[in-house]
This record gives sequence, structure tokens and C-alpha cells, in this order.
Amino acid sequence: MSIDPLSTTFAALANPTRRAILARLASGETSVTKLAEPFDMSLPAISKHLKVLERSGLIARTRDAQWRPCRLKAKPLKDAVDWLEHYRQFWEESLDRLDDYLLELQTKEKTHDHKKR
Amino acid sequence: MTTRKDNPAQETAPRELVIMRVLNAPRKLVWKAWIDPKHVAQWWGPKGFTNPVCELDVRPGGAIRIHMRGPDGTVYPMTGVYQEIVEPERLVFTSGALDKQGKPLFEVLTTVTLTEQGGKTTLTVRARVVKSTDEAAPYLAGMNEGWNQTLDRLTAYVAKL
Repeated sequence: MSIDPLSTTFAALANPTRRAILARLASGETSVTKLAEPFDMSLPAISKHLKVLERSGLIARTRDAQWRPCRLKAKPLKDAVDWLEHYRQFWEESLDRLDDYLLELQTKEKTHDHKKR
Repeated sequence: MTTRKDNPAQETAPRELVIMRVLNAPRKLVWKAWIDPKHVAQWWGPKGFTNPVCELDVRPGGAIRIHMRGPDGTVYPMTGVYQEIVEPERLVFTSGALDKQGKPLFEVLTTVTLTEQGGKTTLTVRARVVKSTDEAAPYLAGMNEGWNQTLDRLTAYVAKL
């Protein structure tokens, strides 16, 4: 199965724990132990989520430092947010145009009715 | 399994983009504006776009083929398939989400519902990213409240980069 990067990002974001981890990392890099603190979850469970996030390129872990801090990598996230924003905008603008067009149609209809009378 | 918070129901819940509009037109007319290609071509797409190709086979399984043309002349083809048609209140279709190179990313399921009140029509567009392959994990373009807040924070963060 070939997965495109954006789908991988959305799949990674599909989990509330992983989103919470990302939100936490938005305020700065931190260790796995620190990250695990607010969750009612074992360290291995947290590590599993971190692996998913790492594979999707949403976070990076420093190899050399002994405590291997995690930090947010924004590029895939930005792509996902951009896509969502783009799609929302598509509909907002389309519906603006629909609104105008409906008005135009109704004005035409009225004029047409008048002519018929 | 130690990931006891991985509740499948929670995993699939937040996945919608919802946009609601009140249109100053009766539902019958709004419906027409959605299913008649002549009409759709007039409003489909962002500001400044035209639709030189707009073919709608409005029946379950029928195809949607729209070529949107941007103000700079770039053509963005879009294809889709109608899933459900309940005149004049509900229209469901899938369409392919394309990346900047026009490569399909995944499928989006869009549900349009129309309700009428006092000559005005409330239109709701619900868009949901659906998985592009059978074995794929749920692909979410989700938006519930918690998700929104997280996304807001992340968006703010991303914007600073």
C-alpha cells in the first residue's frame, strides 16, 4: 500500500493522545517521561504513540542526547492544516458565489414573471 | 495491548468539516442550483474561477466531472461520484482530494443538506475525509471541539515558523 504523506499525517492526528502530545510539544521540546506524565498510560504505550508520530514526520527525537528529547516538526502538520484550510476556503467561497447566484436567479425570475403578465 | 485509551469510537469521531449557510432562496431553487450543471458551473469554486467543464450525472453512482479554471488560467480537474440523492433535501457525493500536482490524495465524502424555513434555506456542507484504501487507518480531516482547540494551538504554532 502506498501512502501519501498527507494521509499519514491525518492518520497520525486521528488519535486524541497523539494530538495531546503534539499540543504539549508545541510549547517546547521535552523528554518522554515528562510527556507521559499527564496520561494515564504506561511508558511503552506512550512510546508507541511517539513512534507513530515519528514515522509520520510530526516529531523528531534527538539521537545523541541521553534523554532523547522529543520536538515537534512542523512541516507535515503545516501541510495538513493548509489542506484543511484550503478546503474550508473552497466551500466558503463557493457558497458566497452560490448566494449571489441565487439572488441573480430570483431577480431574473421576477423580471420574467412581470414580462409574462 | 497497553494502549487502553485507544478507543476506536473516539478514533473515528472527529473527522468532519462542517459549514452552514442560510441562503435567501427557497429550497427548490437551491436544489436546482446544485443539480443542474448549467447552474453549478456559475458558482462552483473559489472567487474568480470558471468551470469550462461541468458534467453532472445526478443519480446514485453517477459521475461528477468538473474542470475548474483559476484566474491565472490553470485548470483544476475534479471528479466525483454521487452516493445518495434525496430531492430536495440531501445530496451525498464522494470526490477526490488532489494535491498541488493534481495527484489524488484521498477521498472526501461530502453531504449537503437543505432545510427550508420561511422561504429561506439552511444549507449544511459536511465534508469528511474517508480512507483511500481498505486497510488504511482512518484518515481524518476532523473537527470536533477538542480537535479544533488542538488544531488552533498547532496552527498558531505553525504560523510562527
